[in-house]
Amino acid sequence: MSWRCKRLPLEVHEAGAARVSLVDRLRGRGATPAGQQQPDPTVRWGSYLILLTFLILAARLFQLQILSGEEYYRRSTDNFVKELDRPAVRGQIRDRHGRVLAENRPSYSVYVTPRYLTPEALERLRKLLALSDEQFAALKRRIEAKRGLDRYRALLAVEDIDRDKMAMLESEKLDLPGVDVEVRAHRSYPTGLAAHAIGHLNMISAEELPQRLADGYHPGDYVGRMGLERLYESRLRGQAGFEKIIVDARGQRKPNSELLSLIGGELRRDPVPGANLILTLDLDLQRILQQALARHHSAAAVVVEVDTGRVLALGSHPSFDPNQLTGRLTQKEAQRLEADPFRPLVDKVLRETYFPGSTFKIVPTLAALEDRLINPDERIPCHGRFELGRRVFHCMKVHGPVNLHEALVQSCNIYFYHLAEKVGLERMTRMARQFGFGSPTRIGLSEAAGFLPTLDFYRQRGGFRVGYALNTALGQGDVKVTVLQLAMAYAALANGGRLYQPLLVERIEDPSGRVLEQVEPTLRGHLNVSPESLERLRRALQGVVNDQKGTSYSARIEGLDVAGKSGTAQVGKNRKGESSGWNVHNDHAWFAGFAPSRHARIAVAVLVEHGGLGGHVAAPTAMQIIQGYFQQVAPEQRPLALDPTKPRMLGPMPAASGVH
Amino acid sequence: MMLETLRRLRAQLDWPVFIPLGLLVLIGLVNLYSATRVAPQGLFVQQLWWYAIGSVLFIAAAAVDYRILQRHAWTLYIVLVLLLVFVLLGGKTVNGSRRWIGIGSFGGQPSELMKIGIILALARLFSGDPLDLELRPLRYALLWHLVLGVPALLILKQPDLGTALICTLVAATMLVCVRLRPAVKAAVAAVDLSAAALVFLFGLKAYQKKRLLTFLNPAIDPTGAGWHARQALFAIGSGQWFGKGYLRGTQNQLQFLPEHWTDFPFAVWAEEWGLVGCLVLLLAYLLLLLWALSLSSEARDRFARNLTLGCTALLFWHIVVNIAMVSGMIPVVGVTLPLISYGGTSLLTVLITLGLLMNVSIRRYSY
Repeated sequence: MSWRCKRLPLEVHEAGAARVSLVDRLRGRGATPAGQQQPDPTVRWGSYLILLTFLILAARLFQLQILSGEEYYRRSTDNFVKELDRPAVRGQIRDRHGRVLAENRPSYSVYVTPRYLTPEALERLRKLLALSDEQFAALKRRIEAKRGLDRYRALLAVEDIDRDKMAMLESEKLDLPGVDVEVRAHRSYPTGLAAHAIGHLNMISAEELPQRLADGYHPGDYVGRMGLERLYESRLRGQAGFEKIIVDARGQRKPNSELLSLIGGELRRDPVPGANLILTLDLDLQRILQQALARHHSAAAVVVEVDTGRVLALGSHPSFDPNQLTGRLTQKEAQRLEADPFRPLVDKVLRETYFPGSTFKIVPTLAALEDRLINPDERIPCHGRFELGRRVFHCMKVHGPVNLHEALVQSCNIYFYHLAEKVGLERMTRMARQFGFGSPTRIGLSEAAGFLPTLDFYRQRGGFRVGYALNTALGQGDVKVTVLQLAMAYAALANGGRLYQPLLVERIEDPSGRVLEQVEPTLRGHLNVSPESLERLRRALQGVVNDQKGTSYSARIEGLDVAGKSGTAQVGKNRKGESSGWNVHNDHAWFAGFAPSRHARIAVAVLVEHGGLGGHVAAPTAMQIIQGYFQQVAPEQRPLALDPTKPRMLGPMPAASGVH
Repeated sequence: MMLETLRRLRAQLDWPVFIPLGLLVLIGLVNLYSATRVAPQGLFVQQLWWYAIGSVLFIAAAAVDYRILQRHAWTLYIVLVLLLVFVLLGGKTVNGSRRWIGIGSFGGQPSELMKIGIILALARLFSGDPLDLELRPLRYALLWHLVLGVPALLILKQPDLGTALICTLVAATMLVCVRLRPAVKAAVAAVDLSAAALVFLFGLKAYQKKRLLTFLNPAIDPTGAGWHARQALFAIGSGQWFGKGYLRGTQNQLQFLPEHWTDFPFAVWAEEWGLVGCLVLLLAYLLLLLWALSLSSEARDRFARNLTLGCTALLFWHIVVNIAMVSGMIPVVGVTLPLISYGGTSLLTVLITLGLLMNVSIRRYSY
């Protein structure tokens, strides 16, 4: 090849020679230069290739714009239309007098936008918020993980900071580019009382989000996790509203954009605030009850209104702080709550079952009286032991000869072994069912059903023996009840035999106070027993507290008219557990009763786990709660019987009225 | 010379070609106005300035007899290669690659002009005696590699995958079209392709491949690679039959499209004007390309023929690669759409290319 350019001779064409059309030229029929005799195939094939390529491009465009056009149009709309959530205010939970148990407070959360955040601002943020190294490292990782347009989106850095920190951040706003503080309603439980019943909230988890999306839940929303917060989630939550806005790729809002007309449908909807729950609980009594329980390691108690079944107070000790469980629970705290031997997370009123011990004696008593199987005035000697075949059953002490009244007052087991032999398991079970044992109370919250052994149950377990009936009569063996079941049973005893469904919610109101739903007392059943039997039992229970020989006499408070029954339930001796100043082999202490002893207003059940003697441990706690009720909560209900000038009805029913 | 040019213009210019050409310029400006309405301000006016400069170059490229270009083809080529070396040593870094040199307030990318340099050099190379081509095919094949390889590697080093790709495609097209023995062409293709495949498959480890791909194309965010391409698809697809209307393309106006004034203006056009608008644009390109291709059949000499084919190939590959990339048929590489994309040197290159085609067009016949 030569570097010197040789000038080619110009072939001479006639000026104005016939112009050749484009198509002809492409076909190679143009005026070809001299020396090229045959038409150039390059042009022909080249034009075919170009045409083919353009056809392919056009086909692709047809596919994108026409065949999938609708879909892409929808997706491009999703791109720029952002639906802003306008959260509904969650309903409050109040006590029967309108005092707040659960409300919403403003909570400040810190958001950072990685694109605008400077390293200095991040460092400053760390100091102002006093972030731990661990928290800071985690935050930094999250910020650095953002790429591309995600860097323009704000991410939640720290949730729920306190007011002081918020104020500091606001005052240093200019030195904190890319840092924003947003306010949002956060659930708050000002008293922290009745935590198990009221429950708490928790952020919705990624796993459950798909199922809840249809109900309008979004990531980051809080959901009721326990108790009433969970049960009434749909009522409390209200309905979130929304507002559709136009955003650009950086997520920046474009107000008044002409593109707004491209969005179809509703542009905004106001949120509907959640309904308020007015509970049957009384905040004062609740506080008294929880303070009374706090003297024990682990205990539970409930107070119900005898004539309505409304729960006035209920508590399981130790409790937890619902504020802590709503959002700010650290891993360590959660582990501590889980590992606590006193089980603060377990609701011992509703979800745990226990042997009722002697508090259960009301069941065989009524069964025997109703079927006239015993003469209540007949005395049976108690030598401290009862032999059945080769087995020997013991009594707490040697009571000597006792009749039904004395046996109940002094809690003589020997008498009840004799009684149980006559009554038999089936009658007892039938009577226990009337009291509601063995089935849920239908309070609405999640609860245990307890257990009533039947003949079939023992037959399946390898055969029935009379000893089982004896154990059952004493509330041992296989009988299991919840604290609430026992309180409802004693309430039925006190109100003449009506077994109510326990109520926690009195009414549901909208935020303006209009009543949406009034909850009326509901009967669950009737005790099929004669007033005489009830009266006999009632007097005996009065004696338990007021008779000098009564098991709970030591707990009696002068001027407080209470009837009830203590119980000391043996626990399995094979239980293992670390003690931590707590003897897990100790018996559970019970007291169940009502006050005043005649025309009772309230029924109470108290359980002290591994507390020991019911009369000595549980009864004083019950008395304290009852005293609190009549002194502080409802002084106008102080029974007339408290008047010391009037003679007190004591002792058993006159023998004349006894039925044989 | 001026008078002669005017005479030739009147007598020999294919005036009808200005219909698709004018339409393309119009579409380009109209679309650029929409694409840059929100974000980078001032590009529209800058593009008008580039048109002013480009028009001068267009006329110059058309007026100077291509035989003068033929004579100086190698000089031009070597100057441009030196410019590329200069860019690598001291150029400005934009978007992670060195490809700019500053000329006053305007920046220029020599790699864009290099495409024309390669076309001229190859046209010159293959314009020699056909007998020589017939007798010493290997020598030509080797020189072809050299002419393409040196600038292509320099451009890859910047790195600018798109331009290197276009250079290779154009050079390959020219090689296919010259009258070299088919066996030689086949051998070149077989050797080159298998060499490339071998290097990619066995010469590199997996992470190196990945790094190479990212390195060659830094504009693509490794974590969000699909995002840009997807947004472009949403834009095109959502245009449907007639588009969302001028200035009403949401993907465009709300900036969901990346680089929508340089690499993705087709998506802007497709979103706002729909399939109908796209077909109009494609038709204009088609007419322009067919006209350019047809010139080669009437070219007066081998250099003119090669030059015409090279220029046609340049336009063709720019159009096809860009549209295929934007509509998701091939991976994203930075290749502009002639006359529609914003970009100074890119526009100048296109206008010079068109000028060269005009040059050949008006010198088909002599007096």
